[in-house]
Amino acid sequence: MVSLLIRRFAQMIFVMLGISILVFLIFFATPGADPASRIAGRNASPEVLAAVRASFGLDRPLPIQYAVMMRRLFIDQDLTSFVNRGEVVVPEVMGAAPVTLSLVMGAAVFWIFGSIAIGLVAAATKGSFLDRLLMVLGLIGISMPVYWLGEIVNLITQKELHDTWLFSWVPQLGYTALTEDPWLWFKSLLLPWITLAILYIGLYGRVLRASLVEAGQEDYIRTARSKGLSESRILIRHALRTSLIAFVTLFGLDFGALVGGSALLTEVVFALHGVGRLTYQALLDLDLPVIMATVMYASFFVVFANALVDILYAILDPRVRLA
Amino acid sequence: MSSSLPATSDLGEGLAAVPRPALGPWARAGRKLVSDRVAMGALGLFILIVLACLAAPLYATYVAHTDPFTSNVEGSITIDGQDVDLIQPSTEGLGLGSVPLGPTWDIHNYFLGADGQGRDVAARILYGGRNSLLIGGTSTAICLFLAALTGLVSGFFGGVTDMLISRLLDVLWAFPIYLLAISLSIVLISHGFTIGPFEITSGSLWLPIWIIAIVYVPYVARPIRGQVLALKESEFVLAAKGLGVPDWRILWRDILPNVMTTIIVFVPLMVAVNMLTESALSFLSIGVQAPDASWGTIIQDGQDLIYTRPWVAIAPGIAIVLTVLALNILGDGLRDALDPRAKLRIR
Amino acid sequence: MRRMKWLVGAAAAAGLLATAAQPASAADPHRGGILRLVSASAGGTLDPKINYTLQYWTMYQYTYDGLLTFKHAAGSDGFTIVPDLAEAMPESQNGGKTYVFKLRKGIKFSNGKELDVKDVVASFQRIFKVSSPTAGSFYNGIVGADACLKTPATCTLDGGVVADEANNTITINLVAPDSEFFDKISVPHGVILPADTPAKDMGNTPIPGTGAYMFAAYDPNKQLKAVRNPYFKEWSKDAQPDGYPDEIHYDFGLAGEDQITAIENGQADWTLDQPPADRLAEMGSKYPSQVHINTLTAMWYAPMNVNIPPFNNLKARLAVNYAIDRNAMVKLFGGKVLAQPACQIIPPGFDGYQPYCPYTKHPGAKWSAPDLAKARRLVKESGTAGQKVTIIVQDLAADKAEGTYLQSVLKSIGYDASVKVLSQNIQFTYIQNTNNKVQISITQWYQDYPAPSDFLNVLFGCDSFHPGSDSSVNIAGFCDKTIDAAMKHAMTTSLTDKAAAAKEWTAVDRAMTDQAPAAIMFTPKYIDFLSKRVGNYIFNAQYYWQQNLAWVQ
Repeated sequence: MVSLLIRRFAQMIFVMLGISILVFLIFFATPGADPASRIAGRNASPEVLAAVRASFGLDRPLPIQYAVMMRRLFIDQDLTSFVNRGEVVVPEVMGAAPVTLSLVMGAAVFWIFGSIAIGLVAAATKGSFLDRLLMVLGLIGISMPVYWLGEIVNLITQKELHDTWLFSWVPQLGYTALTEDPWLWFKSLLLPWITLAILYIGLYGRVLRASLVEAGQEDYIRTARSKGLSESRILIRHALRTSLIAFVTLFGLDFGALVGGSALLTEVVFALHGVGRLTYQALLDLDLPVIMATVMYASFFVVFANALVDILYAILDPRVRLA
Repeated sequence: MSSSLPATSDLGEGLAAVPRPALGPWARAGRKLVSDRVAMGALGLFILIVLACLAAPLYATYVAHTDPFTSNVEGSITIDGQDVDLIQPSTEGLGLGSVPLGPTWDIHNYFLGADGQGRDVAARILYGGRNSLLIGGTSTAICLFLAALTGLVSGFFGGVTDMLISRLLDVLWAFPIYLLAISLSIVLISHGFTIGPFEITSGSLWLPIWIIAIVYVPYVARPIRGQVLALKESEFVLAAKGLGVPDWRILWRDILPNVMTTIIVFVPLMVAVNMLTESALSFLSIGVQAPDASWGTIIQDGQDLIYTRPWVAIAPGIAIVLTVLALNILGDGLRDALDPRAKLRIR
Repeated sequence: MRRMKWLVGAAAAAGLLATAAQPASAADPHRGGILRLVSASAGGTLDPKINYTLQYWTMYQYTYDGLLTFKHAAGSDGFTIVPDLAEAMPESQNGGKTYVFKLRKGIKFSNGKELDVKDVVASFQRIFKVSSPTAGSFYNGIVGADACLKTPATCTLDGGVVADEANNTITINLVAPDSEFFDKISVPHGVILPADTPAKDMGNTPIPGTGAYMFAAYDPNKQLKAVRNPYFKEWSKDAQPDGYPDEIHYDFGLAGEDQITAIENGQADWTLDQPPADRLAEMGSKYPSQVHINTLTAMWYAPMNVNIPPFNNLKARLAVNYAIDRNAMVKLFGGKVLAQPACQIIPPGFDGYQPYCPYTKHPGAKWSAPDLAKARRLVKESGTAGQKVTIIVQDLAADKAEGTYLQSVLKSIGYDASVKVLSQNIQFTYIQNTNNKVQISITQWYQDYPAPSDFLNVLFGCDSFHPGSDSSVNIAGFCDKTIDAAMKHAMTTSLTDKAAAAKEWTAVDRAMTDQAPAAIMFTPKYIDFLSKRVGNYIFNAQYYWQQNLAWVQ
């Protein structure tokens, strides 16, 4: 087991290294990405351009630039942005992280409880109208592009129905820190939470229902039933526990990706300055230091979640361990 | 209790030869699918959408009489005998800005109104659907092919191969596709390249197709690999190995057919997912490029009009929702029909 | 050509000094309050020697001072140059190659340090030491500048900027007379900073200045805060007025639609970004008194690469000019109130501007309608019909709309046209680099200072064309020796005879427009949308809305 852990950890490092090199290469292969002219300013003379390039170390060979950047990012932690000069990248990402965490954790609470409730009810009433209705609603949730849903939500709550009692509490788009004003923090995030959660409630509700139904046909459930246990007790105490394995592993993967910044569209639409939005802005600006920092941040969470889930599988399912 | 015991006269019948079902497992699955009315309804809806989008040129030329790809900023149309500007300058107050024509709800005449360039939104949505569907379908085909390949190889051969492929898939899964999309599209502006019959320029649809296909390979390869891992330990595979059957033959004749059902179930699901991803990329302006349109680009166009002409953004979104919903329902029906636990273990 | 107003201004300034304009007294009821500005993003580095954005140049006007500056006055009176840290406008000596400035006494930086001649010398050296974008274009005429451009780190400007401590004077020696010299030292790259300011880009760290306000804090992801300079005493109302708000808060990150909503709700006072097109009608009808529209000396234009097909053919370029419907482009930008069609290069309001438009159905002074038939004919005659053309635009809504429209036009005259959208952060450098083989693009040009050479020479002169470089602002790659010689002649004439020079610039404008290195689209106007409580709106042609003179209470 320990050797498995060490191996996975080493592979994690390898993956992140690979990603960083790929990002670096892609950046410099992109025409127009060279930041020297943008940094120097419009209509800079050739001498000025050369001076700026030298001062940023952009005239040195690529492997050296890569090594210097990695050192400045991880060890010295003084790597600065190409676009906002003087802006240190690591604190910038760390400053954006709480926003994403607030968004993702709140949405996760909604979708966990929502999907467990839906999954249980649907499985318990399998085949009935309620079951079908819930599944269709879940499907609709999965089928909506999240940015489109967010735009519609904004249109309704910020403009159309903003003056009615329904939505007059909705504050201006943006994020307020929990420490600054908890009530405003909550109000600003409530609609983004629900918007983000709708997609996942549908998905996880269906997954849970499917695995509950499947578990219902297992031998041990039949045994429990023949022993005379009530259906609800069977459902909650026996079937749910085993079904939650798939649920939890799926959750680990999705949550990891979201924390790393894949809720970017939600952040953009609701003007939340989280890691996802920062990544997207840096990509558009071709701001390599910020891109590198956010990509490393995101890939760490994704790879870590992957590794965690794999290890969890190995623990829970002995067949996989043999492979 | 005693009533459940067979009567002696029934025993003879009980011992008679059991008639074998005349249908094979695939046909049986097909029957089950066809009898699932909800799934068939979804399939019908999907086919309807596809046909409507295919008929886009017919609609634009014969019904609406518009050219949805030419800017028509100064143009006007006739409604109820009156000439109405497609883009109407504001006349109130300072006379700032202009607003495109709103929905006329007349199928022959700018049904959903005009967009910021004076083009017919309804016709553009039909044309856009062609690109969205094309990208969704083609990227799914490529993705499933690659995922099956990697899942099979990785799961079956195990060891170092498995580890290398899995880590490669990890890199792919964690990689920022937006960076790849942005970078590739810039590189290709000035230097398109050609591979065989495919010419890939920066405006080519192959760019989003390949990017989306590759990005989801890990997503599909993982469950396939898991299934192959389990199948590897099943008796019939072990038996084949024991008999000395070569690996490729085992893969082709024993494992692949079983994995096939998983792949088939993935088809409508991945088309749905890929369509959503394409719309997101196009919404961020790094997917389909002008002059081509897709549902995502039209939502992007509608963003600037969302306060005054919300239908430009709402309509393509509804189109996406309906198509993806139909595909998801169909996928459900397929999974139910192809229930892997029961009849499709081919031996 | 810059107006000769500074001569007149010199006399007026001397008179003003005598009467010492009254600062806004503490009793003035409008003095005080916090001005809240918003924009979608910050403007980059805060260092005035490096920053080249309008966003911060507007703020440097009230936080820093140069030897001379542009007057804090309304309209084109704002093009007038007045003495700032110098006591008076210097006389031109030595055939226009030497200027002696007498420094004012008793002025303090915001860190309490007193201003002296050493700071002036250091500030000019620093332009080169930090590789200011205009080091090579504006300040290369100073004696000793070429050595500084070669080795910036050891820049001394020996013989170029000479301080005389005893007499408290600075003498600047130029290599050749320059009629635009005063403009060049009046822009923020020429401001005076403390001599001990480090010779590197100061980024987010505010540098002390002599202005009425000072920068207190800067976080490019959140806010820039300016407060009153505690050591400031007004010495010239024209050059550096006391200012009304006590503090100026500039918040970043709010998107376009939300900015307008915030101003309408009174949560913000002004936004830098131009409003999204779909809110214009609402602003114009519901909040007309809060909307201020001013003409800019700027242009939207589509430079065409004259060195690669199809636009290396003059007929093709003419065809594009005839084909575009400038009214449609104006409509897409926001309507007649916000833009005015243009065919020529010099914008209205400049010396040498004589209305001229050959690219319309009835050629003359004004544009009236496109001439598609002629355009199609020209394309056929040029032999370039059917060629692939890619238009490169940046990803802002207005640019995308104009680009989509232009693509439609090019298709209608016979080209296989497509549009490519690039991030606004890279599009401008991308279209300058000839390696990218950009055929046509859409971009804007705003004046640095009010001189026709800033448009004609900077954008289309041979000296501005640097093949293979990201900094080659002559995007069209246009280099016509005859016209270039005429421009150089005009710049020499302007040293002695402004009126004659203006006529020469008019001729150059016509010749250049006839060669059509670009399709000039329109002259934009600028919208200031203010919240209800803001008063005393003054628009200065050089630095736009005077934020420091706004009343917020």
